[in-house]
Amino acid sequence: MATSSYPAPESPLRSVYRWADERLGLADLAAFAAHKRVPQHAHSFWYYWGGISLLFFVVQLLTGILLLVYYRPGKEAFESVRQITYDNDFGWLIRSAHSWSANLMVFALFVHLFSVLFMKAYRKPREFGWWSGLGLLSLVMLFGFSGYLLPMDQLAYFATKVGLQIPGMIPGISGMVEDLVRGGPQVGEATVQRFFALHVVILPLVFLPLLGFHLYLVQKHGNAVPPGEARKPAAERRTIPFFPNFLAQDLAMWLIALNVVTILATLFPWDLGKMADPLAPAPLGIHPEWYFMSQFQLLKVVGVIVPGFGGEIAGMGLFGAATLFLAAIPLIDPDSRFGRRAKIAAWGGALVMIGMIVLTVWGYAAL
Amino acid sequence: MNYPTWDVPLIGSVWVVGAIAIFHVMISHFAVGGGLYLALAERKAVREQRTDWLEVIRKHSKFFLILTGVFGAVSGVGIWFSIGLASPESTSALIHNFVFGWAMEWCFFLVEIATAGVYYYTWHRVDARTHQRLGWIYAISSYGTLVLINGILSFMLTPGDRWLAAAGTGTEPAYFWSAFFNPTFWPSLALRTLVCCSLAGVWALVTASRLEEHLGELKAEVIRWSVRWLIPSFFLMPLAVLWYWSEVPENSRHLIQAGVSTIGSGLFTQVTRATLVTAMTSATILAIAYFLAWRNPRDFHLGHAVAVVFLALAATGSTEHAREMIRKPFTIGQYMYSDGVRRLQVAELNRVGYTTASPWNHSLDVGQLMFRGQCLNCHTLDGYRSIRRLLNGRDRKGIANMLAILHDQPKTSPYKNFMPPLAGTPAEMDALANYLNHLANEQQAVAGVSRGATHP
Ligand code: HEC
Repeated sequence: MATSSYPAPESPLRSVYRWADERLGLADLAAFAAHKRVPQHAHSFWYYWGGISLLFFVVQLLTGILLLVYYRPGKEAFESVRQITYDNDFGWLIRSAHSWSANLMVFALFVHLFSVLFMKAYRKPREFGWWSGLGLLSLVMLFGFSGYLLPMDQLAYFATKVGLQIPGMIPGISGMVEDLVRGGPQVGEATVQRFFALHVVILPLVFLPLLGFHLYLVQKHGNAVPPGEARKPAAERRTIPFFPNFLAQDLAMWLIALNVVTILATLFPWDLGKMADPLAPAPLGIHPEWYFMSQFQLLKVVGVIVPGFGGEIAGMGLFGAATLFLAAIPLIDPDSRFGRRAKIAAWGGALVMIGMIVLTVWGYAAL
Repeated sequence: MNYPTWDVPLIGSVWVVGAIAIFHVMISHFAVGGGLYLALAERKAVREQRTDWLEVIRKHSKFFLILTGVFGAVSGVGIWFSIGLASPESTSALIHNFVFGWAMEWCFFLVEIATAGVYYYTWHRVDARTHQRLGWIYAISSYGTLVLINGILSFMLTPGDRWLAAAGTGTEPAYFWSAFFNPTFWPSLALRTLVCCSLAGVWALVTASRLEEHLGELKAEVIRWSVRWLIPSFFLMPLAVLWYWSEVPENSRHLIQAGVSTIGSGLFTQVTRATLVTAMTSATILAIAYFLAWRNPRDFHLGHAVAVVFLALAATGSTEHAREMIRKPFTIGQYMYSDGVRRLQVAELNRVGYTTASPWNHSLDVGQLMFRGQCLNCHTLDGYRSIRRLLNGRDRKGIANMLAILHDQPKTSPYKNFMPPLAGTPAEMDALANYLNHLANEQQAVAGVSRGATHP
């Protein structure tokens, strides 16, 4: 017989939630999400690009794991990619999605980088967000470089060969590049094996914690408001709740991004060239991926102006200076009080961006 | 070769027809589904005495009238114009075989566009019942146009055994109804009806998303009611697709499986790829419809609605493309090839020659004439399905071998499923080989080393 000492029966879902909540503190999380708000203004669009980059990374992770199931580094590298592309069900789709999403991720990251720069979201207290972001971008480019070799077809082989000559020119480390990265005097099986280890173990091992750190900081400091917006009186500033409104918009962006990847991967699948043959003549117009094009072109141009060894040093020096400048931006312009320094940061950033675009276009035009 | 050929550089005549057709399909299916939407929405508004709804519907009917009456009608004429140029022989065959059908189509169409105008201009000028009747006349007549065109389009894929038995005897028109109610008629009608309903919902979202902010409650209602138009598709589309697929010739069904395992090249994989795009975009539309429109109707903006329209465009486009592809190498299944040659005619042409009787052979050499007549329909020189790229470094001898395979159609021919048999005498084939050799080897393009996206 039921007595009044029993509590009212709970729905099963509710009791599962309560069970988990008691142990994990879910209610705190829900309360936190309910309070978190995202600023809404004319430039809010740029807030989405970090999330879009993150989505592409998730796509990379998932498709990468699937590729790992069939990919075999070393001697059979080319053959295994051939099988993935031409024999395994939907292998071509997964591989194409991986390649397209990699390119789109780099693109989204550049957009994210420069939108953060121009919205001045690197200012105190967000310096570490900026630095960790730069670190993530560099790692992503390394992901790109190492991944490009893995199919071991003609183009991968020659692009990597040319790409490795650049660090190989720096005096002092050229021997190290040979031993450590290339695994011998020539790009070959050993290189693929090394790049594979780099691509699927070492880089993710560094990348994931850094990503966690970056996201933690974003979470801690919230979205930065651009200076123009911050000057407005509080009553005029609008915010929307993170949950569900901003998340719903984020979701919409992700859906669009996912569709873009799928449509590109299905309509323009990534083909596979001929098997790499070190003895074959290098194909004409060999060039790196588009996101290395500006550096490549910079070295070429400076090399023409300053011939010989000095040119290489000068080119690398310029590239290094631009990178250092980007990294130093939060130190140059830490605070909204510094009008002149804010200008240096903004104009310097614009110069870097325009320089990269011009060099990239120039690089393609000069092929 | 009875007709001159239409040479469109880069995209080929296929894509001129294709682009117009995709645009037209988006609008004409909306014209059908939207008619039903207007009729039912008006009925609901009148019954519930919602004047605010009526105002929204009136606005929507203006948008509807402009979109279907102008862009739908113009693109429809555009289709006739372009198919007449791209595939004169097939167009002629369709006209002759379905004279009665086209006449009916014309009647329905006339009633349709007349009532669309009358419907919009009589808002608040005639009594509510009459106005609703107009809506129903529109809905029914526009559905009639769909039923008719569906009969003819599905005929092109599966003409049916009875009609095929009569083909070439001169008695084809006697089999009008069996050609019309061909094996894929009903599943295809089911599919198109579902598409119409979905597009009615999709386009209604465009109107609803533009309602002003202070009409939040009304906006939410209209958006939710419009989203419901996507529900039938959600449940029934997979079934309709399976039904359709089961009626499609065995040969065409293989194409999907082939495209699953390889990017290979060309046709095989395109059907699969187009189907994947359809699946992905449709799923996204449903996700947006649920998460953004249904859950947060007040925050649903024009940008979202336009995104849905574009997704719907991608879905429709890829579906129509897949449908066209599975028909290859025919334009009329088992009867007429894409280059306008009838299957039963091939032996005759091999004997007397493909170009001999042509009135167009004064100025061009025979090889080029062969190319224009039998290849240009699907290939371009350097763009879509570029013949230069596809010849892929074959020398004169390799080209001749390939043409021999195209001509003889041995059982093992890999080309049989997507290219028509090459018709002509040995001398004509020789001339074609010379011409192709000239294209591929004498005007040598840079050997392709680019590994990147391949062309679809
Ligand atoms: C019904 C349309 C159609 C017609 C007509 C047609 N082709 Fe094709 N052809 C195709 C398709 C589809 C492919 C596969 C395209 C691809 O791989 O991207 C193809 C592929 C080819 C290839 C590449 C074959 C290979 O081994 O990869 C060649 C060469 C070719 N066609 C030549 C011709 C010639 C010559 C003619 C005229 C006699 C012709 N085609 C007529 C549709 C057609």
